[in-house]
Amino acid sequence: MASSGRWYDRCSDIQGVLLDISGVLYDSGATGGVAIPGSVEAVTKLKQSGLSVRFCTNETQCTRDHLVAKLSGLGFQVTREEVFSPAPAACLVLKDRNLRPHLLIHPDCQPEFEGVDCSNPNCVLIGDATDEFSYKNLNEAFRVLVGLQDPILISMGKGRYYKETDGLTLDVGVFMKALEYACDVEAEVVGKPAKAFFLAALQDMGVQPQQAMMVGDDVVNDIGGAQSVGMLGLQVRTGKYRPEDEHHPTVHPDGFVDNLKQAVDLLLQHRGQ
Amino acid sequence: MYYTAKYIAANTKNEEGWKLFMLSKGRCLMSRKLCAVLVDLSGTLHVEDTATPGAVEALRRLRECPLKVKFVTNTTKESKQMLVNRLQKLGFDIQPEEVFTSLTAARNLVEEMKVRPMLFLQDSALQDFEGIDTTNPNAVVIGLAPDMFNYRPLNDAFRLLLGGAPLIAIHKARYYKKSDGLSLGPGPFVTGLEYATDVRATVVGKPETMFFREALKTLGCAPEEAVMIGDDVRDDVGGAQTAGMAGILVRTGKYRPGDEEKIHPPPTTVCDSFTQAVDYICNKVLQT
Repeated sequence: MASSGRWYDRCSDIQGVLLDISGVLYDSGATGGVAIPGSVEAVTKLKQSGLSVRFCTNETQCTRDHLVAKLSGLGFQVTREEVFSPAPAACLVLKDRNLRPHLLIHPDCQPEFEGVDCSNPNCVLIGDATDEFSYKNLNEAFRVLVGLQDPILISMGKGRYYKETDGLTLDVGVFMKALEYACDVEAEVVGKPAKAFFLAALQDMGVQPQQAMMVGDDVVNDIGGAQSVGMLGLQVRTGKYRPEDEHHPTVHPDGFVDNLKQAVDLLLQHRGQ
Repeated sequence: MYYTAKYIAANTKNEEGWKLFMLSKGRCLMSRKLCAVLVDLSGTLHVEDTATPGAVEALRRLRECPLKVKFVTNTTKESKQMLVNRLQKLGFDIQPEEVFTSLTAARNLVEEMKVRPMLFLQDSALQDFEGIDTTNPNAVVIGLAPDMFNYRPLNDAFRLLLGGAPLIAIHKARYYKKSDGLSLGPGPFVTGLEYATDVRATVVGKPETMFFREALKTLGCAPEEAVMIGDDVRDDVGGAQTAGMAGILVRTGKYRPGDEEKIHPPPTTVCDSFTQAVDYICNKVLQT
């Protein structure tokens, strides 16, 4: 639950900022996507201000390298080291628990899983596979799960939809729910809104949750997730934002801004006061 | 008081109203003036390609009673005509207009709502939607359609739902058995779309109250004047009783010992077979 008052009156201690990518920096699409007006300059300004900045995305349609190249092409100052995405986090989980996944992921994300043992699978790992979410592929994943004595379903994110240039588009969470329902299992989520995911990014910046802020367009995964570890959560009215989000039954963002530019301008004006 | 509660319930969707309405009804078949019998097909009249013992003859006897008969079934794969052909081959005297399926219920709902559905159905089931306008769709109907449960069509459905289109599910089965193993049913895809959009699907098949009411409406009988015979204690008997009908559970098909304990209130009565259920009903009718 958000405290009362304006969010920018509570941001004097902010040392680090986490930014969602899709819907905050740019809208993705078949032709590479387009930057959201003001966002390129906002990232530059934020970095020049001396604040720590990391990019927290549930993007699993491509590798981090590919994503960074795409964002650079749109004019954003982003390095690979600053990007936190679910695939590397998932690889750590697999390794820690000796899991051999049956993968249902986007072909362009495959390189992130190079070297992972996928023989004789003992879990199913899904990402935003888009067109790979065919009946045949989902049924294969389903059969692996029902064949396991202790079915483990790992989902890279649980988003419902995101915005593409041609409209809102189904995200991995929908197919996670379908498999959960089919097999009576509960998926483990790697990526937002899992607490561990936010904490890893904060640790990398060396910033406490109370000194950090998340800016995102997904009320549950960005805002709810950030607030669950004690960060401020700021919702932008770009990307997948819909007016209903301002009356969400369980998540109450600390503030709403029209776009990233407005968030950064207000933050920099009020910081350190 | 009875009609007041029913009126309140029907007009305000008030749950308390419904409870009051349900409580005000008798549950004993004896006290009812019987008007109609609803009969499940698979597991009750037949198991795969064999009629249950005595069922063909029992149906003939049932028809000699002054009762209306309708056959009700959850199907997503077969059109009504295909079902009827199969039953006639087994010797049953059944006409297509006497069969009410979950596909029929979906079609009726689509017509009532005056919507143009995007149909997730196999070709074999599409027959039941002949003549329905599906151009420029503004509703989504989900049955079993492995060829359509792919990302693009699901995304099209998702966008329709976000635009306010209603979601209609033939039923929500998790999976079904195919010759090469278990396969995903409509339920997971309905559930996924519900999660994506916060839209709740209207499920039209058994055990939904609406399904039984629709079937009875075509007969002009009220639920309290009707009895359902079936082998599925939840979908047939429990569903019918919730809708205000009497329910007879038969010990054929998917029946397992102890099934009668699974619903509250319990089945109105339990019979060994469809034949015995018909005897029970005919006796009651003769007594009143």
